[in-house]
Amino acid sequence: MNPRYTAIVAVTVLAGAAACSGQRMPPKALVDARADYFRAKDGPAMQLDPTHVHEAEIALDRAEHAWQESPSDPTAIDLAMIADRKALLAEAEAATIQAQREIARARDQIEVNKTSELKTAKGALNQTQQALGQTQMQLQDQERQTATLEAKLREARDTIAKIASVKDDERGMVITLPGEVLYKTGSWDLKPAAMAKLEEIARVLKDKEQPIVVYGFTDSVGTRDNNMSLSQKRASAVRDYLVGKGVPQDLVTAQGKGPEDPVADNNSVEGRAQNRRVEIVVQPKH
Amino acid sequence: MRSRTLWTVAVGAVPWAMACGSSVPPPHDQWAEAEANLGRAQVAGAPDVPVAKLHMRLAQEDLQKAKELMDQDNKRAASLSALANSEAQLALSLAKAAASQDEARKAEFELQYPNTSNK
Repeated sequence: MNPRYTAIVAVTVLAGAAACSGQRMPPKALVDARADYFRAKDGPAMQLDPTHVHEAEIALDRAEHAWQESPSDPTAIDLAMIADRKALLAEAEAATIQAQREIARARDQIEVNKTSELKTAKGALNQTQQALGQTQMQLQDQERQTATLEAKLREARDTIAKIASVKDDERGMVITLPGEVLYKTGSWDLKPAAMAKLEEIARVLKDKEQPIVVYGFTDSVGTRDNNMSLSQKRASAVRDYLVGKGVPQDLVTAQGKGPEDPVADNNSVEGRAQNRRVEIVVQPKH
Repeated sequence: MRSRTLWTVAVGAVPWAMACGSSVPPPHDQWAEAEANLGRAQVAGAPDVPVAKLHMRLAQEDLQKAKELMDQDNKRAASLSALANSEAQLALSLAKAAASQDEARKAEFELQYPNTSNK
């Protein structure tokens, strides 16, 4: 062959090959694999799971090489798709690692919060227990004081019961003294025997710190006004005597009730005698 | 003389060509491995995650094609088995990622609203 023709043919073939090579477009699978690989390499997967990113890189190199070698071989497309899946897998694994870290962080924080809440609750519980302890002590003190008062009251009642009639009603402890024992008829001057009894009663009541009301009562004989006046004067005489013997003045009041609230029939001598009386009411302590 | 030589070459080339055709053994192991990974993806909940489910389906299709090509085109069957394996592994990873992200959301919710149950 003419060397000149040989050179022309060679140049034409090389140029054609070069042109073909330059125009050859990579398959879509390879383009996708490249894009997915570079996204994984530039994303968090590179820090979180570099091993899988590296495997994707190797697979991509193999796919590139296969395509260069045999662009029409379907296994080259398979390799490109394998490289693409490996890149996607690296990103998925990185997402799992990221999520696991977030779970661990959230759980750690939950534990910290729970510990803090528990500490606060324990503190509050301690305070409540201390307050409860104080309240219980106060309650025990009050119970002791009440028991002491009740004992004293029983003692007082027993003492008074020896010299007068004692009963309990809704007003409190009621000490009843017959009028004949205390006064001469129509008078409010106390008899000496009455003073002895009242002195004993005053001795018992003066430390009680309980309100005392002295009620004076008459029978129904005579005018109401006279009876009211007489009963007031008799009640006051008893009150003054009690105060004189040490019962606090501000705790004792006197009230005349005349013929009101009779305890017996005013038509008989015995009944009228029972109605003429003084009641010393020791009210409950408020 | 010349035809005798050609005959000799031709007879010798037949077993050589047969040997070349069967140089890639049927990829039973690769196929089985891909199928096993497909099973793992299934167990991990991939069918409940749309994108993972898609890759499971692609893996199934590749496995089916590989099975059809087995002993006819072992090279391609092996390539498809490898691709199916990658699809199955990806489906498994996507399922695990979805589960972890769901768990992370629940943990965050529990952190933000400690007295509320989100289960």
